[in-house]
Amino acid sequence: MIKNIKLAARKPGQKTTIIDVNGIRVGEGLVIIAGPCSVETERQTIETAIAVKNAGAHMLRGGAFKPRTSPYAFQGLGLKGLKILDKARKETGLPVVTEVVDTRDVSWVGEYADVLQIGARNMQNFSLLREAGKSGKPILLKRGMYSTLEEWLNCAEYILAEGNPNVILCERGIRTFETYTRNTLDLSMIPAVKRESHLPIIIDPSHGTGILSFIEPMSLAAVAAGANGLEIEVHIDPASALSDKDQQLTVPMFESLMNKLRKLRAFMDEPEMSSALQENMDTPAGKSAVQENNAQNAAPPLPGAFSEAVD
Amino acid sequence: MNLDDIRTDIDRVDAKILSLLNERMEKAILARRFKTSTLDTAREQAILDKVRRSSQCLLDPAFSVKMYEQIMAESRRIQEAGLQTVAFQGEHGAYSEVALRVLMPNAATIPCREFSDVFEGVEKGIYDYGIVPVENTLGGIVGPVNSILIYTSLKIVAAIDMPIRHCLLTLPGADHRELRTVWSHTQALAQCRNFLYRNHLDPEPYYDTAGAAKALAESRPKGIAAVASKFAADLYGLEIIKEDVQDTPHNRTRFFVISTKESDAEGDKCSAVFTAGNKAGSLFAVLRVFADEKINLTRIESVPDTPGKYAIFIDFEGALLSAAVQKAISKVSALAEGFKILGCYKEMRVEE
Repeated sequence: MIKNIKLAARKPGQKTTIIDVNGIRVGEGLVIIAGPCSVETERQTIETAIAVKNAGAHMLRGGAFKPRTSPYAFQGLGLKGLKILDKARKETGLPVVTEVVDTRDVSWVGEYADVLQIGARNMQNFSLLREAGKSGKPILLKRGMYSTLEEWLNCAEYILAEGNPNVILCERGIRTFETYTRNTLDLSMIPAVKRESHLPIIIDPSHGTGILSFIEPMSLAAVAAGANGLEIEVHIDPASALSDKDQQLTVPMFESLMNKLRKLRAFMDEPEMSSALQENMDTPAGKSAVQENNAQNAAPPLPGAFSEAVD
Repeated sequence: MNLDDIRTDIDRVDAKILSLLNERMEKAILARRFKTSTLDTAREQAILDKVRRSSQCLLDPAFSVKMYEQIMAESRRIQEAGLQTVAFQGEHGAYSEVALRVLMPNAATIPCREFSDVFEGVEKGIYDYGIVPVENTLGGIVGPVNSILIYTSLKIVAAIDMPIRHCLLTLPGADHRELRTVWSHTQALAQCRNFLYRNHLDPEPYYDTAGAAKALAESRPKGIAAVASKFAADLYGLEIIKEDVQDTPHNRTRFFVISTKESDAEGDKCSAVFTAGNKAGSLFAVLRVFADEKINLTRIESVPDTPGKYAIFIDFEGALLSAAVQKAISKVSALAEGFKILGCYKEMRVEE
């Protein structure tokens, strides 16, 4: 057990917390968040939103405030970007996930977005975490690129301690000695989070690999490992993108990935597979809890939100 | 000071010039009623003389005269166009004006300081119509308007029920993070209370929503926003930070259009006012007449009048000349004190 984690820790027998985002239940089935890295224009955002919705995505992502490595790189459209995301939401009905980088922006981003994302670079920005906690909005907390699981869960604790129970964890790759991929996508965090915390965990294979052709295999691997969702960058014309142009899927690529995910998900929903995952992941330390969980596993699994949405 | 700053100032001056020109055209339309013909050569000559003698140092007299000749030609054109005039309370961009634009897109809307100015102006024939808010779903009745309606000789000729969608407005380029205070009418501020609280903004009451927007555009203070209509944003060149900042979508206001003459078109709704006698069952007796005639009442409102007396406003469905309504009116007139039909009209309901 990790020390000092109170609210984020999974108690023996505790089920994964479900975060309700306008009816999309994160923590149940597989939730797909897709959209462009940055909101660039109204047309680009709305067309991407419609395309990912038609392909079966449940939420729209898109950055209006961008934390960039270089101060000279495109910083995002700011408030104007939020207004465009709002239009895309009205057009498609998809809840909007967008990043907040400044404590002074938290309430304003909350006026437009359904989920506030705290990026890897801001994971340990404690004043930002506190503000995010106060907003009461669902928070998507990315793992810092140099952070341990313990540090990550402590950051979730900051948000939970403000009285906001709606935290979704997101693994997006960490810095290792390996430089072949942009980051090393640490999929072992899926069972680790499930053992230590009741919070849902999703995977960002776009930043996790930074290589277009790696996104599909790592997405499938994440789902096989039991991720509660994926956050994937999709752009109607990646070549023209103002940021992350090399790791944004085209719409046909995303559609093809969604088809494979659907098949994999159906397979994972088979009782034998889902109970295997439960045994491996939902097990807090201690044997008695294992048995408790096994008893619950006898019940047939609920149909996932994902398969419902596909129907 | 750099080029951008100077251009911002020029934009501001241009907005003022247009607003003043519009005001001049309004006055010209009102002046038409007092004149026998649109062209008054003596008056025009007097204006041009004054313009020529003006000591604004950068303005060449020839230029000023040429400009004024054009302005006056346009004034005459507008006077001859015979636009209908409608008075409303508040500044341009007020919700009453927004409502009127839906009903009569081509009318000339004239701002008035008080509700009583609207009623008096229409009574005296200065304006063809007036538009006034009567009730709001969140704020209840508009007291001053209903008090005047008890005794007015004017007739209600149309009604409109419209959603009120507030916007948070700032000066263009203002940083939303720096905002601290919001100006607006107390009613509008109350309708956005949760929004203001969430974003750490202090409400500061103003006499009018559009007036707050206008003052913001003119005085250009830092850290201040206004809550007003989208129309006001366009009018005063303000930026919309957020649309729909009211706490509930069920924020609607009902407006009456008033005139000295009854509506020519047949209506399907009537408004009346009366005083119920101070004895048991007197109000019930009146309402019962409508029930007996199967006439649906859509509004019942009591407004304190003289001490111990209440004016009762009722709205009901049906055309004034229909048999059932005529029968009800003749019965009620005998039962209620001072029963007066305020008008028979069509009511428009705007959904979005």
